[in-house]
Amino acid sequence: MTGWIEALGHFLGRCAETTGYGLVLLCRTILNLPHLFTRRRMRDCLDLIFSYTLGSFTVTAVVALFTGMILALNGGDSLASLGQENLIGRIVAISMIREMGPFMTALILTASLGSGIAAEIGTMKVSEEIDALEIMSISPVKFLVLPRMIALTLVTPVMTIFAAFIGILGASIVAANNFGVTWIAFSNDALENLQLGDVHIGLIKSVVFGVTIATVGATQGLLTRGGATGVGEAARRAVVITFLLVIILGYYLSWWYLS
Amino acid sequence: MIQLENVTKVLSGRAILSELNLSIEEGETLVLLGRSGTGKSVTLRHIVGLMQPDSGRVEVLGQSLTGASMEQLSTIRSQIGYLFQDGALLNWLTIAENVALPLLESHKLPAAEVNNRVSNALREVELDHHGEKLPGEISGGMRKRAGLARALVCDPKIVLHDEPTSGLDPISSSIINRLVNRLKSTGITQVLVTHDMKSAFEVADRIALLHEGRVQALDNVANFRDSNDPAVQQFLEGHISGPLSRGVLDGTPNEDDRNEVS
Repeated sequence: MTGWIEALGHFLGRCAETTGYGLVLLCRTILNLPHLFTRRRMRDCLDLIFSYTLGSFTVTAVVALFTGMILALNGGDSLASLGQENLIGRIVAISMIREMGPFMTALILTASLGSGIAAEIGTMKVSEEIDALEIMSISPVKFLVLPRMIALTLVTPVMTIFAAFIGILGASIVAANNFGVTWIAFSNDALENLQLGDVHIGLIKSVVFGVTIATVGATQGLLTRGGATGVGEAARRAVVITFLLVIILGYYLSWWYLS
Repeated sequence: MIQLENVTKVLSGRAILSELNLSIEEGETLVLLGRSGTGKSVTLRHIVGLMQPDSGRVEVLGQSLTGASMEQLSTIRSQIGYLFQDGALLNWLTIAENVALPLLESHKLPAAEVNNRVSNALREVELDHHGEKLPGEISGGMRKRAGLARALVCDPKIVLHDEPTSGLDPISSSIINRLVNRLKSTGITQVLVTHDMKSAFEVADRIALLHEGRVQALDNVANFRDSNDPAVQQFLEGHISGPLSRGVLDGTPNEDDRNEVS
């Protein structure tokens, strides 16, 4: 019994420590924002934007296409039984832009980029490269975390818009082929019912998710301990924690928008 | 130049340094010897401010590191070069970019001055034809030399070497030793942590043997080699039993402790 309580206390202590570290890291990154506007940091940032976009482009396109198709297939089937299949456009468009696009993109970027950031910074930590930076009076926050956070914060909304567009495209193909809803009817229904607020909340979510993915990845990377095993553990923890935060934050942002 | 006074450091419940006293003079090359886990690397980390002592005082270049602000630490560190065991080079930058890093990021020198200094540093460590390669494309010995070039590019007054010849073949070790001796002739103060006795005798002015977090023996090379101290004898001759066999746990401090960064 005592051992169980001790383990729980240790776990909660560790959670509090990691949360505190992550929040301080986020604040320090924001305070270092003016350092972004130097030639070297801008170049680092642009390189990362390019590599992040390229690295997640294909998987995002495939997942978004099939998500849109699945949404149209399931939604269309239910609507067809009521003779309302012409409403597929609005259902798919609103879900993809407001909810599924940001959520799905965040999950893809967490798995591909968030874990990558944790592993990259974690490897640097265990191979003493972070120590080397500190000895050279180079802030790891300014040098490593800032460009990654900015790049991810910019890439996530772009990939979210791209995912939503591809998802809607996939849904329109299913709507036309399986339910006889023409592209014109599909897009008219989608555009007439889509509100600017839906786009806004989708973009707000994607920015919040981008910051979350980068912060958790960098935090886990900087807290890495224990060699190669520790690097793997940091990447795994980054993915798990970000998934949980994305779903929780997603719910509260939707609640805030709808209320 | 470097003073450690009664420095104590406890990691994972074990005293790694226990009221350690050490004084290193300007221009001197001091070699730290000792079994694994006796606090050699921890001593280097205290000298560069990566670790703070639990008690005691560390003074470098006349300034106390104990409780120093980040700005003060930064000023002191700008005069210290540190060679890590594996070089600690950033693997996405070329060797030349790695060497240029402290000049561009901390010193913010103009490009022409940076190029000039980088070329000189790479020539100094005999890597002038390898500047465009990535760290993964060169050997371990070359990576250490590249790390040394990075440590030297800012003209430091002190250079700290953490096992500069570990894992190297005898020829690569001799190249590193020659570089250390060349630095010695320029008057740079150096502290080396090593297990390589040949290297220690080749480069040291004085040798210190650490045991149980304290200096067990400290003398010049000739006296150290001829010492009658049983601990020194055991270390030099590699006997399994003797005074150094008690109280030393196998291995170095764990990552949690090693990474307790300021």
